[in-house]
Amino acid sequence: MLTTLSLAARNLLRNRRRSLATLLALAIGASSVLLFGGYAADIRATLLTDYVQNGGHLRIQHKDFYLFGSGNPTAYGIAGYEQIVKAIEDDPELKGELRVVSPTLVFGGLAGNYEAGVSRPVIGVGYVADDVARMRQWNEFGLPEINGPYALVGAPDDAVIVGVGLARVLLLCQKLQVPDCPRPSAADGASTEQGAALPDDIAALAAAEPGDAAARGAAAAGEVSLELLATQPRGSPNVAAVKVRAAEDQGFKELDEVTVKLQLDQAQRLVYGKGEPRATAIMVQIEHTARIPQVAARLGQLLERTVPGHALTVMDFRALNPFFDETIALFNTIFGFIFVLIGGIVLFTVGNTMMAAVMERTAEIGTVRAVGLRQSGIRRLFVTEGFLLGCVGAVTGVVTALVLAAFVNALDLSWLPPGSSTPLPLAIRIFGEYGMIAGTAVGLVVIATLSAWLPAWRAARLSIVDALRHA
Amino acid sequence: MADAVAGLSAVTKSYRMDDVTVPVLQGIDVEIRPGCFTVLLGPSGSGKTTLLNLVGCLDRPDAGKVVVAGTDIGGLNDDELADFRAENIGFVFQSFNLIPVLSAFENVEYPLVLAGMEPERRRRRVSRLLDAVGLADRARNRPGQLSGGQRQRVAIARALARKPRLVIADEPTANLDSRTGAAIIALMRWMQQKFQISFIFSSHDSGLIKAADDLIVLRDGVIQSVRRKPEEGRAAATATAKREDEVGGAGADAPWAAPRAPLPDTDFSFLQDGTPAAP
Repeated sequence: MLTTLSLAARNLLRNRRRSLATLLALAIGASSVLLFGGYAADIRATLLTDYVQNGGHLRIQHKDFYLFGSGNPTAYGIAGYEQIVKAIEDDPELKGELRVVSPTLVFGGLAGNYEAGVSRPVIGVGYVADDVARMRQWNEFGLPEINGPYALVGAPDDAVIVGVGLARVLLLCQKLQVPDCPRPSAADGASTEQGAALPDDIAALAAAEPGDAAARGAAAAGEVSLELLATQPRGSPNVAAVKVRAAEDQGFKELDEVTVKLQLDQAQRLVYGKGEPRATAIMVQIEHTARIPQVAARLGQLLERTVPGHALTVMDFRALNPFFDETIALFNTIFGFIFVLIGGIVLFTVGNTMMAAVMERTAEIGTVRAVGLRQSGIRRLFVTEGFLLGCVGAVTGVVTALVLAAFVNALDLSWLPPGSSTPLPLAIRIFGEYGMIAGTAVGLVVIATLSAWLPAWRAARLSIVDALRHA
Repeated sequence: MADAVAGLSAVTKSYRMDDVTVPVLQGIDVEIRPGCFTVLLGPSGSGKTTLLNLVGCLDRPDAGKVVVAGTDIGGLNDDELADFRAENIGFVFQSFNLIPVLSAFENVEYPLVLAGMEPERRRRRVSRLLDAVGLADRARNRPGQLSGGQRQRVAIARALARKPRLVIADEPTANLDSRTGAAIIALMRWMQQKFQISFIFSSHDSGLIKAADDLIVLRDGVIQSVRRKPEEGRAAATATAKREDEVGGAGADAPWAAPRAPLPDTDFSFLQDGTPAAP
């Protein structure tokens, strides 16, 4: 069948080497854009998964907690949080949306390794261990494991996890057998792991908390113990002797040197003593990230119904972690820059090819015009050739990018995010990113088609008589 | 000459070469009789091709009037002119000008595709045309697989595909050996006589000159002479044509400016008869 499309295809096959070179440029361009886009997509998926596994998609907390809570977290405790958790879990509209609803308590305090004679301010975070374990199983993007099993699952109340940085500062690395953990010079007598015993007054305070005696017993048996000092809401100090179960990298150095994770019950006893236990936030992890707006809206309605006149707010992980959006914005900017660069190359390559084709086929243009083809027909023919080049180039580029991505992914590489101390798996996520694939392919096809427009326009404007002289 | 297939009246045409304007045609008045084998003669640079381009509606005059098949082409825009060419004029070029990526069949089919003809009808007509020019067995061959004579026969079939009133042929035998050229002339002559399609050539080929009904001699952009065979000596029937030996002198309101009825026998049904014998 003799159509513009078939004629355009045959014309492209006429000068195979030139068409191939143009296709190669297009394919390399498309695959470059996609490979970087796939890399950025994987970073987004990895960061998002990391945040959601550790803190959920949404958090219900006091409306001032985000801005002012770090100064005195316990002042923003949510009273009656169990009632809110129950209301959320029982809500029929949220059935099927929720994975985990779990309270958490953040507090500031001091951690001391009195045996080594060192202490430092810390941020304590109390979690329900089983909930954290379930949250870590969320994997919407099918990534390799980011966060390992939660070490406090099944652990006694006095077990804690510390950041690797905190273990280093408190000189716990050796006892915890943390690999690659530097130790200070032994010349400094104040900084050794053989410090003084726990002072009597602190020991007396710690003894007031149930379970602490067991922790001290464990410490005496060679296990790693730590004393946590926290200020209760009314200003009185409270101390708990806890047993360090593991040192776990917290990702960022600043967090890694201050984080202590403990069981929620233990944290609540430490902060609230025998008073009403509270949580500073309720973490909500849902099945699908895309449903955040709907779930957030529903949570707002539930809060109004459950605790009328509340001072709570619902925030998603992006609002709580501005670094996420900043990182994505950075990668999007680089992606856009690369696309514009590649687009420019494609524009000139295809334009040059089509211009050469017009020169080469000038007599032919004159002939078909003489036979009765209108100017628009000439334009259509050359633009179709550009379009076809774009289509074949884009498809080839997509296939190439998928193959290269599969190859890179098979290498099991990892990368260290900026400011982070934990390497994350490096992969190129192209398959499944249909929006990116379609956007890139369509973008390049449009550019290739537009590139052919000027040569097509010039071809159509050729004088028939002049064109026929080229025969 | 009410039935003239084309007429030029006071036509001038010049080209710019760098900063110099070169006059090519200087006040041409001429009429092309329908159903005739008209040959333009003249030395190189005399304006033959320019005249053919104007009659073929490939170019526009600087001044004067060009009327083809009863239509003043000065009043047509570019698209209308393209459509007009497609419907009324066929072209045979010195270098054949076939589209190299199309087969012989597709080259002949191309003008019919542009006309939007229904595929089955198109296929039938192309087959008959190729049969008529003796290339039925080479229909699937591309131009590169054909000899010069075969290519020109494909070009003739393409020129005739839309049943034109006029076929313009610029030096159609110049790139062919004498024997092949003679065969091509015979084929075109046969077609012209059979369908009364007007052919207008520029050529130096003596065989073509001998076969001509009308000879128009150009020199330095003016018509030096027009020699026409008497009506009774012409194979094609154009009852109203009258003999002219003088330089054409039709004015702006020349009688050939009036539209004329379509040629009576242009349905190509004869092509069913198969390959033509030598005329």
